[in-house]
Formats: sequence, structure tokens, C-alpha cells
Amino acid sequence: MSSKTPPQFDSSRLLDHLPDPLILTDVQGDIVWVNEKTEEIFGISGEEITGWSFIQIIKIDKIDKQLKEVLQTGESSESSYEAATVKVRNPEGKYFFKITIKPILDNGKVGGALIQLSDVSRFKELERIKTDFVSIVSHELRTPLSSIAMGVGMLKDGLLGQLTPRGSEMVDAIEKDCDRLSKLAGNLLDLSKIEAGQIALETQLVQVKGLVDEAVRPLKWQAESQNIQIKTNIPEDLPYVEADFNKIVWVLANLLANSLRYSEPGGTIAVKVEMSGNRMFFSVQDDGCGIPREYQDKIFQKFVQVKGDSGPVGGAGLGLAICKEFVEAHSGQIWVESEEGKGSNFTFTLPLARSKENIAP
Amino acid sequence: MEKKVLLVEDEKNIILGVRTSLEAVGYEVHVVEDGEAALDFVRNQKPDLILLDLLLPKVDGFEVCAKLKKDAETKDIPVVVLTAKATEEDRRKVMELGADAYMTKPFRPQELWDEIKKYLPEGQQS
Repeated sequence: MSSKTPPQFDSSRLLDHLPDPLILTDVQGDIVWVNEKTEEIFGISGEEITGWSFIQIIKIDKIDKQLKEVLQTGESSESSYEAATVKVRNPEGKYFFKITIKPILDNGKVGGALIQLSDVSRFKELERIKTDFVSIVSHELRTPLSSIAMGVGMLKDGLLGQLTPRGSEMVDAIEKDCDRLSKLAGNLLDLSKIEAGQIALETQLVQVKGLVDEAVRPLKWQAESQNIQIKTNIPEDLPYVEADFNKIVWVLANLLANSLRYSEPGGTIAVKVEMSGNRMFFSVQDDGCGIPREYQDKIFQKFVQVKGDSGPVGGAGLGLAICKEFVEAHSGQIWVESEEGKGSNFTFTLPLARSKENIAP
Repeated sequence: MEKKVLLVEDEKNIILGVRTSLEAVGYEVHVVEDGEAALDFVRNQKPDLILLDLLLPKVDGFEVCAKLKKDAETKDIPVVVLTAKATEEDRRKVMELGADAYMTKPFRPQELWDEIKKYLPEGQQS
């Protein structure tokens, strides 16, 4: 704290100079005061709105709901920048705001709330530019990759003459890297589509066992060749989940492929599914090298890769970011518990199907 | 008789790859590099199948597809779209215009042969 006493000014005049809208409500959620920026953005005047309920003026349900919760619980609410930006359109342009709502406590009781809208329009704009850029790059990668894939395919099939053993070794290596690049281009494109909100879920009632089998099957051979055992433990009587089959298979397969990548020969990977409350818990547990503590919070972010003693293990660090997007699009959550040297346990949840038909298969 | 495949594509390396892989299994491959030339070729030469890129000079692939599928003379010629545009929207749009199949780049010769074989079962000579 500064030892100086601040000079005395009219505090509401000071707040008028803030670059962000600021709104004060009473305990009912009726507006009692707004600063100048609010008047400007929402095209209203402070005098005419006093006493109106919040939702009448700021017609955004999301903030109204958040406000009611704060007034009821007395706990602050801050939306994350990614999750809960609100869009406001006025003649000057389009704005994106992040919302912070703080209760005003009077003798320990909630007397009202202070709503602050922080302008994040510029961040949103940058995000859009980045998403477009990624999408263009990924499209541009596909055309040259196509001629490489075709050339390699023909060389391998001997359509262009017989290869020497050294030659076919080289062609195999090119093919592998070509696959890797194709996958990367595909992942980048998926991610840019998800971020742009372009991925629609095709949900249906899904049987859990079928989901797990579909994810495990293509990796069985790889696991055997690495001498790693994949154990699945799926109770027969689990109810259905409401999910996009392909996307959840993708998530499970990605978690399994990660476990395979970080496991030693002789290791075991266990896939478990359990129901608890109204959610289904899917977990993939391995006894591999584990994830250092400093990475555990970050691995679901884009381009974050755990670097082991022998350097990165390959991949671009997009898989888990896509997993997170897919799971959250299903209103689920994903997290990891891990101890270095002992292994990792990735878990994600899906809500149970709400349909009446949802009886155990 | 060799089956006649028209490739509508403006990327030189893709042309080389597709032409080589299709000729290797006995198709007769013709290439045009823009949409206008594609429409001309189809009307005059009646290929057995068309491989169509979407991003083309002059007339784009969507329009080529729409025109061919509206014309009674050409509507039965199978159109297989080959494209780097991988959005669901593009796929839906061109399929609605009447395209018969949609392949996203990159693809391998085998995938291309398999797709073409669905429409030209007797085309392959090897």
C-alpha cells in the first residue's frame, strides 16, 4: 500500500474515464449506476436507465445469469477469456467483452454487484486472423503433399521401375514423413475449424464398449510390436452416452497412442470406463515415464510437448489440444494425473444420455 | 478400348502424379487446366469419367460440376472431385451440385484407383 493519501475527487467522475464499461446494480439486479463508457457502448443514458432491471438494458442472457448467481452466492465470478466473451454490436462496430462480476458486501450481506466488461475485441480479432492463417497454411500444404504421396506410392508399387534395397528404404522413410505431415496438416485444419466454431457434433446414443473397441483395435498391432499390453475393463451393463462416435473414438485413440509413445517394452496400458453420478468416466492409464509436474497444467494447450531426456518424441503437440476441444464440446472435462517415472492417468468425462431409451444394453 | 479420363487440374505436379498413376494401369488420360476448357472438352469428347479440382482459373470446379450435371448430354458422366479444400461446407455444396465422389488431397495412387474403379469397372488393364 502506498503511504500517500489519494487526492479527493468525485469517484464517479473518475470511473467515467475508465476505458471499460462499468455497471453497478442493487441486490435485486436493478441498475443503479453506469459509467460513461457503458452509455456509449450500449447507446443508453445513465439517467433513463436507473432502476431498470439489468436484462432490460443489457440484453445479454449470459451476463444476467452470471449476475444472479453472484447476487445469490456472494461469490465473485470471472469468465475466462476463451469461454465467455460477450458480443455487443452498436453503430460504431462490434465489441467482445470479458465479464467480471464482484459482489458488493454490506456488513457481510450482499448489497449489490459491480459488473466490469473488459474489451477483448483486439484479442478476438488476432485469434481470428491466426485461425484463418492456420487454415490457409494447412490447405496449401495439402497440394504438394498430394503429389509427394502419389509419387511415393508409385515408386513403392514398382510402377516406375524396380528400386534398389537402399532405394526402397529411402522411399519408406519419405512415405512415413509424408504421412506425418499429412496428419499435421489435418490436425491443424481440425483445430482451426474447432476454434472457428465450425465443427458440429453428430451425436447419437453410443454404446461404451463399442466406442472403446473401435479405438483400441487399430492400435493392437502396434502395442504388440512394442511388447506393451493394452487391458480393457468395461462393465457390460453401462448405460449409453450421448456422443459423437467418431470424435470420441479419436480422443481415446489419441490418448492410447500417447501412452504407447511414452511407455517402455513390457509395460501395460489400462483402459477403464466407470459411471459415477450422471457422468461416464473414461480413463487411459499407463506405467510409462510420466509427465513432469511443470508440464501437467500445460499439456492440453496447443504446441506444448513434453521433452524427455532424449528430446521430443515426435508429433506437433496438437493431439491433446484437440482432445480437450472435442471433450468440452460434449460438455465433458479432461485432465491428467501423473507422477514422473511411474506413469500417467488421463481421464475424461461424458454426460450420460438423457433420453428415456437409456437403459443399459 | 481404354477408358478415357479427363483430369481438370492446374497444379503441374498433381497432373504428373495423376497422369502417371492412371496411365500405368491402362487409362487414357486427358488434361485441361481451367474450368472453361473442361466444359469444352466434355461437350466435344465425352470422357468416361472426370477428375475435377475445385479451385480452377476462369470457371471454378463448383460451376463446372453444376453445368455438367444440368446438361442431359453430360449428366451421367461420373465426376470425382479432387481437392485440398477440406471443409464440410465445400463437400456438401459440390455433392449437392451432383458430384459423384469427393477425395481430399493428399491421396495415394491406390485410393485413386479404388475410387475410379467404382465407376469404370472394366477400365483397368493390369
